[in-house]
Amino acid sequence: MKLNRRYRRNIRSNIPFYASVTVLTMLTLLMFYLFYVAGTGIRAYGEDFFDTYRCEDATFSVYSEIPEGAVAELERKYSLTLEKEHTASADEGSYHMRVFTPNHKVDLYEIQDGHDLVDGGEILISAGYAEEHKIGEGDTIRLKGRDYKVAGTFLRPDYLYLVENVSDDYKNVSDFFLAYLTPAEFERVFGAGTINYKVIYSDQSDEKEFRQEVNETYYVSGYLNADNNKRITFVYEQADMFLMSSWIELVVFPLLTVALVCILLGRRIRAEQKLIGTLSALGYEQGKLMRHYSLFAVIPGLVGGTLTAVASLALAKPFGAIGLADYEPMKPEFRLPIWVALAGIIIPTAIYYVASMLRVRALLQADTVALLAGAVGNDGKSRRILAKKKLPVKRKLAVRQLIGNPGRSIVIFFGICLGAMLVAFAFSFLDSVEAVGEKAHDEFGSFSYEYILGTLRQGEVTDGETVLAMQYEDTKSRRFSILGMDADSRLWNLTTTSGDRADLDSGFYISTLCEAIFDVHEGDTFTFRNIATLEEHKVTIRGVIKNGYESYLVASKELVAELSGLPVDCYNAVLSKTALPDMEAEATEMITDSTYRTQMENMKESMAGVIDALMVIGVIVCVAALYATINTLISENAYTISMLKVLGMENGRINSMMISSNHLLLIPGIVAGIAAAYGIMAWYCAEFVEVENIMIPATLKPISIVLTALFTVVAYVISLLLVRGRVNRADMVDALKDGRE
Amino acid sequence: MAFIEIQGAKKQYGEGEAAIYALNGIDFSLEKGKVCVILGPSGSGKSTLLNMIGGLDSLDSGSIRVDGEQVTGLTKKELTAYRKKNIGFVFQFYNLIPDLTVEENVQVVAEIAANPLDTEEILKALDIEKYRYRFPRELSGGQQQRVAIARAMVKNPKLLLCDELTGALDTKSSRSVLRFVEKVNREYGTTTVIITHNEAIADLADTVVRIKDGSVASVKDNESRRSADEIEL
Repeated sequence: MKLNRRYRRNIRSNIPFYASVTVLTMLTLLMFYLFYVAGTGIRAYGEDFFDTYRCEDATFSVYSEIPEGAVAELERKYSLTLEKEHTASADEGSYHMRVFTPNHKVDLYEIQDGHDLVDGGEILISAGYAEEHKIGEGDTIRLKGRDYKVAGTFLRPDYLYLVENVSDDYKNVSDFFLAYLTPAEFERVFGAGTINYKVIYSDQSDEKEFRQEVNETYYVSGYLNADNNKRITFVYEQADMFLMSSWIELVVFPLLTVALVCILLGRRIRAEQKLIGTLSALGYEQGKLMRHYSLFAVIPGLVGGTLTAVASLALAKPFGAIGLADYEPMKPEFRLPIWVALAGIIIPTAIYYVASMLRVRALLQADTVALLAGAVGNDGKSRRILAKKKLPVKRKLAVRQLIGNPGRSIVIFFGICLGAMLVAFAFSFLDSVEAVGEKAHDEFGSFSYEYILGTLRQGEVTDGETVLAMQYEDTKSRRFSILGMDADSRLWNLTTTSGDRADLDSGFYISTLCEAIFDVHEGDTFTFRNIATLEEHKVTIRGVIKNGYESYLVASKELVAELSGLPVDCYNAVLSKTALPDMEAEATEMITDSTYRTQMENMKESMAGVIDALMVIGVIVCVAALYATINTLISENAYTISMLKVLGMENGRINSMMISSNHLLLIPGIVAGIAAAYGIMAWYCAEFVEVENIMIPATLKPISIVLTALFTVVAYVISLLLVRGRVNRADMVDALKDGRE
Repeated sequence: MAFIEIQGAKKQYGEGEAAIYALNGIDFSLEKGKVCVILGPSGSGKSTLLNMIGGLDSLDSGSIRVDGEQVTGLTKKELTAYRKKNIGFVFQFYNLIPDLTVEENVQVVAEIAANPLDTEEILKALDIEKYRYRFPRELSGGQQQRVAIARAMVKNPKLLLCDELTGALDTKSSRSVLRFVEKVNREYGTTTVIITHNEAIADLADTVVRIKDGSVASVKDNESRRSADEIEL
């Protein structure tokens, strides 16, 4: 078809338009690809590593050691793998470590650098700490007065996310690491150490019966299944967070962008209505014209999709690596699946193709005479706005540009909104994480120190409030704490969501996080069981206490003692306003009012790369969307612009007349973008509760709002500067030829 | 000194074998306040010449001087200022701004002019005040052309350039429009250049320039001008 010779010429003369919509398609697809690749890469690595290195299903401790023969018998009886693990803690001042003997059946380790232990003078250390402190094979580590030669570094499946305590919210590789000594050396230094049992269940295993038998015979002191072990679950949680982000981004950003590009393509086709009318008058069939124009539209989809797939090959690794910042140094492969790459090319292309076909079809439904006159879609009603008002023409034209062309205004609004949304989303993510650091401790209470003790004590503590904290699980083995407090506690937050003070003597109160995870509310009966004995309990929830960071029930010491069967004055945690050195020496974990802040600062730091990328992409998307849109606006007004030039109007004045009206869209566009970003963040945070067991408050600080507005305005100004040349280049002579009303 | 002085004006479009000389060494001059009709067949270079005089395009060589001001060699910015200050355009297809009413089409020029005429006066003079709130699409060709003249005149230009201003009009409308051009020239003393291929319009002029293949074929001064009502359209 000779008509198709227009393709090259038309594209060449509209390169800025095609380039901008292609860039838009690329950037938004890229965001999806990168999150998707990071998520699937981490998940695939985790699955493979857990399988290869025999990740535990649970770990537990007992009061009475299980004899070797009994271990074998339990394995046979319950079709499971059970292994005794010796571990010990050591504090060397500037660092502290958790030392193990190598396992043979469960939680095996993978050497990353160096070699396995050969003799008692060697030590293996966890790879994250080694990398952070640049320690390698041949270096020495001092432990209990002896210098051990580092044989190598390792990863183990139950410590891919190296939190020192399971209750910690963020990893610690700055002064904490894991280490292996040979069994003989371990015994020489630590004796038997602490014994934990690691178990892997099979499909035939009856977990409940096994646990009951172990408890009845050996008295379980602690039981933690893998689903409640952050060190293990975080691998999937992080992967799922990336995947969730990718799907949210797919739903929100690329779809919005595709819609925007469709509108722009549609307007471009409408601008060609005279030619379409002429071709139709000359006898071109509807189908031929639809195909002809639709092929123009596939360019951004095909080129954008292909370039994005190519770009993702190069960017997937560095971007995915940003997502690995929280883990021990894992080495997943980040690869874009072929089907995703193809979908990224085909779907936008198909949408653009269909949208264009429908636009041409809709135009061809109109009267050919109207098409020839270029009058389709110009009903003229909107032009009457302010017709009889005594206002400067510049202002009237601006209002008509805005209200008289709702489609065009919506597109510009959309462009501003999209850009603002991406930037605000990035800021909101940072603010929300920061808010956890700032607000978390207040939701716990007014104490400055919380000492978690490894053992149960009885009695009183001077200058401190004692707490009995017990771990329980629901019938799906999801963990939470039950806290026994003094009813008159001054240090723990006991204000209910209704603003009253909780009456701990009257029953159990639930934290907002626990409420969200277990879907148990005020007045409901909550059924749960003792982790060790699996004994079931039911309590009625009296009220809710705002705490989105810890999943717990709280009641008076008397009620918790009754539930647990322990003496009323029993405790295993202490809260205080001032530091208690004695407690610090004995505590297995200490939480201060800066703990959350530090952890969130670390999280922010590790996510900085992702956030920066999101922000840069947001600004570029904003510029590209606005450029494409304003470029379309200039094209649609080419005749008026040229005519104003003929009449002697300066370029600056024309620019101001034709474009300034759109400045009015900036504020609503930014406001809508910010609101949408906040909404998405709130949705994201709500999803996060399930994934991370933390209620991140969706936050957008005033300074972030100001910065978002500033970034968007800058992007808007950049796009205006880019299209400014279009007005300068408008050909007056051509306009005179075209200006036939 | 003549109001318009054109010397050796050359303009070429395209290059090499495809080159076309739209203007191939045009020379002519026109006194202030006069009406000049430029005649010639399609493609003779009339519109190109008008565009050059009006500062819409620039010459390859030669010079154009209007009211003592050298137009040749002006920068784009200076050309814009030149058009704004000196030139009123009327085109064959009116070239009104479709998004503006009649009144606004006139006002948009008045707002940028240094010494505009009163919009009301112009609307009345061209008998279009009753259409002031209508949009170009809602007017006949003749009415639109009158709006175009009003728009050109409101800035009180020194030079009115009319490009085939009756080319798209029927006889009655053409006569009416020409009547207004005459009136403008008479009442405001505006030097007027009309390009047309309609021989009859030549009788309205003080000077008639005939152009063929980008060159001046002849220049003739009419002994007396006829009025729009007297000519055979």
